[in-house]
Order: sequence, then C-alpha cells, then structure tokens
Amino acid sequence: MHDMSAHAVSHHAPPQGFIRKHIFSLDHKVIGKQYYGLALVAVFVGMVLSWIMRLHLGWTNLAIPGLHLLSKNGAPGNLMTPEYYLQLMTMHGTIMVFFVLTTAPFAAFGNFFLPIQVGAEDMPFPRFNMMSFWVTFLAFVVLISSFFVGDGPTLGGWTQYAPLSAVGAVSGPGQGLGVILWATSIALFCVGQLLGALNFITTTLDLRVKGMSLMRLPLTAWAWFITSCMGLTAFAVLMPACILLILDQVAGTSFFVPSNLVINDQLQPHSGGSTLLWQHLFWFFGHPEVYIAIVPGMGIVSHVLITNMRRPLLSHRVMIGCMGAIAVLSYMVYGHHMFVSGMNPFSSLAFSFPTLVITIPATIIVLMWIGSLYGSKLRINAASLFALGFVSMFVSGGVSGFFLAQPSIDIMLHATYFVVGHFHMVMAVAAIFGIFAGTYFWFPKMTGRMMNETLGKVHFWLSFVGTYCIFMPFHYLGIAANVRRYQAFVDDYLQPLIPVHRFITVAAIITGVAQFIFLYNLIHSRFLGKLAPDNPWEATSLEWSTPTPPPFDNFGGKHPVVYHDPYQYGVTSSTGDYVMQASPEQVVSEHDEK
Amino acid sequence: MGQADLTMEGHSPGLMTGPPFAIPTKKLAMWLFIIADTMTFSACLVAYGFLRNATPDWPRPFHGMVNVALMTFILLTSSLTMFLGVRAAKAGDKAGALRWTMITALAGIGFAFLHIREWLGLISEGMTLFKNPWGTGLFGSAFFSVTGLHITHVIAGVIALIVVGMRYKGGRYNADDIEIVGLYWHFVDLVWMFVVPFVYLLNLAH
Amino acid sequence: MATAAQHKNEGKGIGKYLAVYLCILALAGLQFVIAYQNITASQMFRRMFSVAIVEAGLAVMFFMHLWSEKRGFLLFVLVFTISVLLAMQYGWTDSFRLVNCGGYCS
Repeated sequence: MHDMSAHAVSHHAPPQGFIRKHIFSLDHKVIGKQYYGLALVAVFVGMVLSWIMRLHLGWTNLAIPGLHLLSKNGAPGNLMTPEYYLQLMTMHGTIMVFFVLTTAPFAAFGNFFLPIQVGAEDMPFPRFNMMSFWVTFLAFVVLISSFFVGDGPTLGGWTQYAPLSAVGAVSGPGQGLGVILWATSIALFCVGQLLGALNFITTTLDLRVKGMSLMRLPLTAWAWFITSCMGLTAFAVLMPACILLILDQVAGTSFFVPSNLVINDQLQPHSGGSTLLWQHLFWFFGHPEVYIAIVPGMGIVSHVLITNMRRPLLSHRVMIGCMGAIAVLSYMVYGHHMFVSGMNPFSSLAFSFPTLVITIPATIIVLMWIGSLYGSKLRINAASLFALGFVSMFVSGGVSGFFLAQPSIDIMLHATYFVVGHFHMVMAVAAIFGIFAGTYFWFPKMTGRMMNETLGKVHFWLSFVGTYCIFMPFHYLGIAANVRRYQAFVDDYLQPLIPVHRFITVAAIITGVAQFIFLYNLIHSRFLGKLAPDNPWEATSLEWSTPTPPPFDNFGGKHPVVYHDPYQYGVTSSTGDYVMQASPEQVVSEHDEK
Repeated sequence: MGQADLTMEGHSPGLMTGPPFAIPTKKLAMWLFIIADTMTFSACLVAYGFLRNATPDWPRPFHGMVNVALMTFILLTSSLTMFLGVRAAKAGDKAGALRWTMITALAGIGFAFLHIREWLGLISEGMTLFKNPWGTGLFGSAFFSVTGLHITHVIAGVIALIVVGMRYKGGRYNADDIEIVGLYWHFVDLVWMFVVPFVYLLNLAH
Repeated sequence: MATAAQHKNEGKGIGKYLAVYLCILALAGLQFVIAYQNITASQMFRRMFSVAIVEAGLAVMFFMHLWSEKRGFLLFVLVFTISVLLAMQYGWTDSFRLVNCGGYCS
C-alpha cells in the first residue's frame, strides 16, 4: 500500500550550498519563513502608505516631506493630489489583502507547520512549493514596480471596478500601465496560491503519520486545509478575470466596458460589455478571499488559546464543522459586496439571507472560544493576549456585519467609513492579531530562540488600544455619513468630523510606531534571544515533538506515531497536565470525543 | 518532556494505513488541478454567456460545421486512444502504452492544426478580438478567449504527453504517470464537450 | 500496487469502454442535430446543456475512472466541484436584465 503513497515524491536530499539552502530551497520550513519575510516587508510598506493617507485626511494642506520622491506627478511640492491619494489607497488595499493577509497566516505558517503537524517530512511537491513562493514574490515585485513607471500605480481600488479599470489611461493616472501591472501581479499571485493549495490539500490528506486520523489533526491543520480548498477554487476564478481585464486594456476587447461610455469627455471606442460581470467574477473570488484571510487566524487562535488555557475547546468537531460551513457559505454570499452596484434587487435578497446565515457558524465559533475560556486559568503571555485580541476584534467588527448584511441598511452605509471600520476590524486587524499570536507562539520553534515577553505585552496593549482608537471611530463616522474614498472633506456637513479624523490619524501613527517594537523584538530575539527548549509552552501537537529548530526532515529520519487527540490537556501524566500526541502513555481523559 | 518519551518509528511503515482516497498523491494533485481548472473554464464560459445574454445584436455567423465536427471527432477519439494507452501501461505493455500515447499526441496536433487553420480563416474574414463583420465585437472577444484558453490546454497537453511518454520510455516515469497525464487529456476533451455547443453550435447561422 | 480501479477493470474487456466512446460520439452528433433544429436559442441551450452534461458525466465516470474510485473520492470531487459551480450562477439575472430592463422599458 505504501509505495504508491507520497513517500516517493516527498524524499529529497538535504540541500548543499547557500543558494539551495536559503534562496531556492525546497524545504517547506525555509519556504514558510520566506513567505513570512515577504509578508513582513509588505505589511510595513502597506502601513507606511496608510500613514501618508491618514496624514492627508487629517491635515489636507499638509506638505509631507519627501513625498515627491515617491511620485513626482502625484505630489508636486510634497502636496498630495487627489489621484495620488487613490493610488496609495489602491496599493494599501492590494498589498495588505494579497501579500499580508493571505501570505502570512496561510502560506507562511501553513508551509512551516502543516507538514510538521501531520508528521510529514515535507510537502509532497517541494518544487511546486518553491515555485509557489517565487511566483508570489515576482507578483509582489511587479506590483511594487508600478510605483516607478509612467504616472504611478493604478487608482481603481483593490477591487479594480470596471469600467474605470478597463478603459486605459483616459480614466486617470495609472489606469493604463498601472492596471496592467496590477492585473499581471494578481494573476501571478493566483498561480502561486494555486500551487500552494495543491500542496496543502495533498499534505493534509495523504501525508499523515500512523495514528493521525482526520479528527486528530490540530485545528490549525484543519483551518489550513479548509482555506486551501477555498483558495483552490477562488483563485482559479480571479485569474481568468484578470486576464480578461488585461485583454480589455491591451487588446481592445470590451468585456467589462459598456457601449457609448463617455469618460473625461471622450467617447470610448468600446462596445457592449458589462461592468457588473467584473464585479460578479471579482467578488466570486473576493468573498472566499476574506475567509482565506480569517480562517487560518481562527485555527491559530484556537490552537494558542487551547494551549494556554490548558483545556480543549468545548467541541473539536463542532469547531471544524463551523469552519467548513463558513467555507461553503462563503461562495453563496459574495453578492453582499454588490448591494449598491445596480445588481438585480432580487439577487440582493438571495445574497442577504445566506449572509445572515453565515453569522451562525461564526457566532458558534466565538461562543466556543468564550465558553471554553470561562473558568479556565488562562496563562497570560503575548501569544494568548493576541489570541484574546483576535476574539475581541472579530466580535467588535463582526457585529457591524449584521447591519451591512441587510440591503436596506447597507445602501445607506455602503459608501461610508462604516464599511471601512467593519472590514478593517473583522478581517484585517483580526487576521493581523492572528499572525501576531502565531508569531509569539511559534517563534521558538521556528528560530530556536524565545521572544521577549515584556516587549510582546507592551506591543499587545499598544496595538489593542490603538486599533480600537482607529477603527471604532470609523463606525461613528460612517453613521454620520462620512463618505469613503474621498481624499479631502470639504463639504459643510463633514467639517465637524475633521477632528475625529485627526484623532484617528494620531492613533494610527502611534499604533504604527508600536509595531516597530515588534520588529525590534523579532530581529533582536532572532539573534540574541534566550535559547528555546523543545516545548516551551508545554503543548501537545506534533510540532513540539521535534528538535528546536526542526532539522531538515523534521523528525530526524523517523516518523512519529500518534496516540492521542490533539489537545490532551488537564490530564494527569508523567509530564504534567498534558500528554503529547506522539506519547504512548495511557491517560484517563475527560475530553475524548470518540 | 521532549522527545525522549515519544515513540518514533524508523523509516519503513511510517505513514498511516494508506491515503484516504486510495490513490497516489500525484493523481490526487491532478484531480485537484482539474477542479481548479474547471473553475477557470467555467468562469470564462459564464462570462461568455453573460455577455451573450446582455447583447441584443449577438451575431450567429457560422455556416459550415464540418470543420468543428471533424475536430470534435478527433478529440473524442483521442480520448479513446489515451484510455487504451493507460490500459496498456497498467497491464505492463510498455510498447503499447507508448504507441497509444504518441497516437494521442498526434491526434492533439491534428486538432490544434485544424483549430489554428480555422482561426486563420476567421481572421482573414475580418474577425479580430474586438471587431468582426457580423455584429458586436464581443463575439470575437468571447470566441477567441474561450477557444484560445482551450487550445492552450491542448498544446500544453500535447507537450505533456510527449514528455511523459519519453520519460516513461526511459524508465523515469511509470504507468501511474501515464494515467495522470491521461486524466488531464480527458479533462481537455471534456471541456471541448461544452465549448462546441455553446461557442460553435449556438452561433450557427439559420 | 493495484488500485481499486484496476481490480475492477481487469478481466473486463475493452468492450465497455468502446460502448462509452460510441455513446459520447453519438451524443456529440446529437448536439449537431439539435443545432439545426428550428427552435429558440434558449430551448437550444437547454437541450445542448443537458446533452453536454451527460457526455461529460460519461467521460468523467468511465474514461477518468471516477466511477471505479472509492465512493468517498467520488463524492469529494463531485460535491466540491458542483457546489462551487452552482454558486457561480448567481449573476445570470443581471445579464438578462441588461437587455430588457427586467420588462420595465420597451
């Protein structure tokens, strides 16, 4: 039975030489770290872009020193033009959604830990894995390069709505070459993530060690598996959409451009396409994408919380089922992004209902975390604090989702800062907190050194309070009808809101600066941190059975055997209150769900 | 704590009692790729259908169906030869497997030849990606993108068949690999089953 | 190493697969017959789509051997693919609406 399984494909010799070891490496752990590095670079780029935008929103006539270096035409005399604001917004969104929220929790941690958690030596297709990273890296380079060509990056927003995105340079700076580079970058990104998803699914299904039944997989492994199933189908739809967009730009087709369109007083030569078609294709990818960003975070947070509260979740199976239900529903709700697009109003109804239904599994997940936390003696450390922060963000941002799920209310709120506040909290910052929780939790295993806990806690409190200061006021702004995507607020009714914007800007800058504490902690601990033991958190899953950091083949030429469910805490064993998955020790457990 | 009290096994059995679907990992990966590719083709066909519905002056310019019938026949038959190749490979008949694989590749080349000839004919009639003599320019856009995506898959498939066949002959690949490239080839054939009615037959002039 | 698929296939001749091939060929021919019938485009689409589904089903089940795989795998592939494909069909109402404004303008 075994020679047909992935044995044959997963074996490769340890690499020799610097390039093979650290650059074009086939080792899933190196690729995971490369993804993490890419996300780290991307997140700081995206953060700086948001600072510039926030400064401009708070003090519209402020000259930002050095801004002309980024774009000569976009910032004459260091004063931002309206178009340049939109370009920054587009790049902030694209970089953050694709290159941070997708790569870090899914591709980075998943690559590093999924094979170890199932007990494998590597992914079944290491070459695809390496290609996956380098194609993603190329996509990032292509995207960033659009800052330095012609009149800068595209200004169409990360959703790149047609027809603005499809008619070329006539619709604004960056709408020619900028859009082409954007669409090329995203198409490449899709290829990279498809290769990754192939590896993730086959690893989870085929490379599990003896005793590792599907129900014994840790919740992180389940989250990555479910995410890769979504990625496999969602990215496969975005890729042809991007190619059709490129054709509209370069080959004169008009898939997404209606006939008789006049832009900037010029009649466009296009005929007969549909702008709604782009939105349907984009959001068919786009909604699963937000769950691609958040579901790995749910897995990581559960994993971290369980370890630190020393008890499993109320139900392992229900948690998995809820994550799966979210994945299935994510395809049926995508139109709730399109309530104000001119879509058939009856479709709005059909999208609204499943959108409200998807809150049920999401609520069950939250209740499961809170219910499991109730009465537990949570160990407070940076990782568990960030996991709690994730729960808090997810709830605070999720509550505004109930408003937006209903077309009648969404029509009022859709074009306002309410939506900006909603998705930043529930998807963006929550996922970032998941990344932080994962980083503080797994850093010892990834590098062999501990991170500084005190700095971690300071980082948490500044980030947590700061995030609420930034994104909670967004909701109030939205209810006060503060439109989004505007580069300056000149209308009378918006004047009283400018102090709120200034408060948000100050909070954003302070919170952003706090992230450098994390960066310092990360770099300092990487080289000078305290040496980490093999299992510093007294955790049970297989990644803690390896030496620290794990050797090239993870388990030192052997395969572990799994005897237990993943989260055997609160038991009495020779090691303490837990028993590891690969330990043959028989313990009496109250948690077996068999 | 640590590894001392953990059981580990040596290299030999290691993995769980067998993958849950009882198929080789490579084959599972090919199936997953096919699922993803199904979404790619469906997105293109949905886009085509969406635009066709939304366009009142959609042209129906095709007169003869001989060429597309011949192409369909060749592609469907190549599926049978591919099946015979996989069957021979599984039975250990190396020469037979190689022969049928190469015949399949030849059929693919024939298909591509007919298809490109048809394209050139349409182009010489004045059809491009954005305009044509018969009606909305979207017709050319949709036709060339859907069939273009398909012919790209056919050409990639021919290359894959030849490469896998050669490596199978050289002993680097085994019967499983022939089967996996066969899965891909059948999928390309399957897509054509939808492209023919929607892109060709629905646009037949009456 | 023999898979479940092989066990079932061994012993059986090529006859079954030849029959499948001829069925697919006949269905493909049927598509061309439908194309020459004098019916509306939507009727034509419906018939052609049904025939294409049967053709594709035969190819997936027999040429791609999905029928002889484990039932779990068959369900995994079919349920996964079809549910995502179904979700892709939300947009159609918009495509019709753009032509006749949903019946509100004429």
